[in-house]
Amino acid sequence: MVIKIFFFSILIFTVSGLSQTDWVRWEKVEYSYEKPNRFRQRDYSFDTESASGFIAKSAVNTYWYFFSELDGDNCPYSPSCSAFFVQSAKETNIFQGTLMFFDRFTRDYNIYKRYEHYPRVKDGHYYDPVSLYTLDEDKIEYIPPSVLIKK
Amino acid sequence: MKITELLFFFMLFTSVNPAQTKDFDFSSPINIKKFADFLFCDRDYLRAALEYERLISSEVKDTLLFKIALSYSIIGDYPFAIKYFGKIPYSSSYINEAQLELIKTHYLMNDYYGVRSFYNNSFIKEANKYQLEGNKLFNFSYLFTKDELPSKEKFLSPFNLSEKDEISEYYDWKQDPLYKSSTIAGIMSAIIPGSGKMYVGEIGDGIVAFITTTVFSFIAYDNFKAGHNTRGWIWAGVAALFYGGNIYGSVAAAQVHNAKITFEFNDGLNVFLQKNNYYTPAYGFCDEK
Repeated sequence: MVIKIFFFSILIFTVSGLSQTDWVRWEKVEYSYEKPNRFRQRDYSFDTESASGFIAKSAVNTYWYFFSELDGDNCPYSPSCSAFFVQSAKETNIFQGTLMFFDRFTRDYNIYKRYEHYPRVKDGHYYDPVSLYTLDEDKIEYIPPSVLIKK
Repeated sequence: MKITELLFFFMLFTSVNPAQTKDFDFSSPINIKKFADFLFCDRDYLRAALEYERLISSEVKDTLLFKIALSYSIIGDYPFAIKYFGKIPYSSSYINEAQLELIKTHYLMNDYYGVRSFYNNSFIKEANKYQLEGNKLFNFSYLFTKDELPSKEKFLSPFNLSEKDEISEYYDWKQDPLYKSSTIAGIMSAIIPGSGKMYVGEIGDGIVAFITTTVFSFIAYDNFKAGHNTRGWIWAGVAALFYGGNIYGSVAAAQVHNAKITFEFNDGLNVFLQKNNYYTPAYGFCDEK
C-alpha cells in the first residue's frame, strides 16, 4: 500500500511539476480598448525632393495644424483626403494632383453605397489609393470591395 | 503488494523497451519514401517534398521528381515546381503529365505569355495523350491577354461540345468587352458636370459632382452680379477646380470601371479553369490499393 501511494505521489508531483512552467504563467494583461489615433501620428516634415510635393505638403501641413487636429479623424478614406493630395502631387504634378484631390473631395461627399465600391482597411476606412487615379492604366490594381486590406 | 510491484515493473519495461528499438533504420531509403508518401497523402506537401528530395541523391526516379514538383506546385512555390517538372526526362512515362503541369504552373503564376511560349517551343504535340488539353490551355491563355484572338472556329476547335457554349461566351465577351470609354466620360462631364460619372455607373458621385459644381458656380455668379468681384473670382476658381476635377475624375472612373470589368472576367476564367483542374488528370497517388 505504501509503495502504491509512493508511486502515485511521484506521478502526481511529476505531472504537476512539469505542467507548471513559470514563463507562461497566466496573469493579468494590460490592454487598451482605445481606438488608435492614426491621425495624430502625422509627419509634418516638408518634402524637398519635388516642387509639387513641397507646395502640396506645405498646404496640407497648414490644414492639418489649423483644422484637422481640431476636427479629428473624420475622413472615411485611407489615405485621408489630405494625405491623398500630397501623395498624388508627389506621384504626378501639382496641377494633376490638385484635380485628383478635387475629384476625391467630390467622392468624399457621396455617401451612396460606398461600401459597394471600396474595400475596407482593418480600421474601417475605405481603401482608395492614389494609384487608381493617375490615368496610368498599368498602375490600376483593382481590389474588390469584399477584400479586407491588412496594413 | 508484491504482485502490485511486479505488475508495475512489468508495465514499465514492456512500455519502454519496444520504443527504444535501435535496429529500426529511420534513414533507410525505403522508410524515408514511406514517410514521404505518408506526408504527401496527408497533404503535408512541403515536408513531403523535403523528404523526397533526400532520396534524390541516392536514387533518381521520375515518380519522385514528379511528386516533388507536384508538391511545390500545390504549396505555391512555382519556381521550384518548374525546376523539378523541367528535370523529368523526355524518355520518362511522366513527361506528358509533367508538361501539362508546367502549363498549369505558368497559369498559376499568371504568366500567360509563358504558357504560349512553352506550348510553342517545348510542348510535345504528337504522340501526347494530353495534346488536346495542352491545346485548350494554349487557346485559353488568349482570353487573359490583350493580344488579338485567333478566329472563333480555330479557338473553339479543341473544346468539347459541352464546353463550347461557355467558352464561346468568353470569346464573344473578349471580342467586345463591356468597357466604358474614358473619352466619352470626360466629354460628357465637360458638357454636364457629373454625367460622365453617371455614364460609368457612379450615380452618387455624379450627383454630388453636379451639385458642387453648380452650387459654387451659382455663388460665383451671384457675387459677380452683386458687384463683389474679388469674392466672385474666388468662388469661380473653386467652381473651376471642382469642374476640372470632375472631368478628370470621370476619365479615371472609366478606367477603374474597365479594370473592374477585366478583373471580374479574369476571375470567371480562373474559376472555370479551377473547376476543370486546368485540364490536368487525377494521378491517384493516394488511392486505396
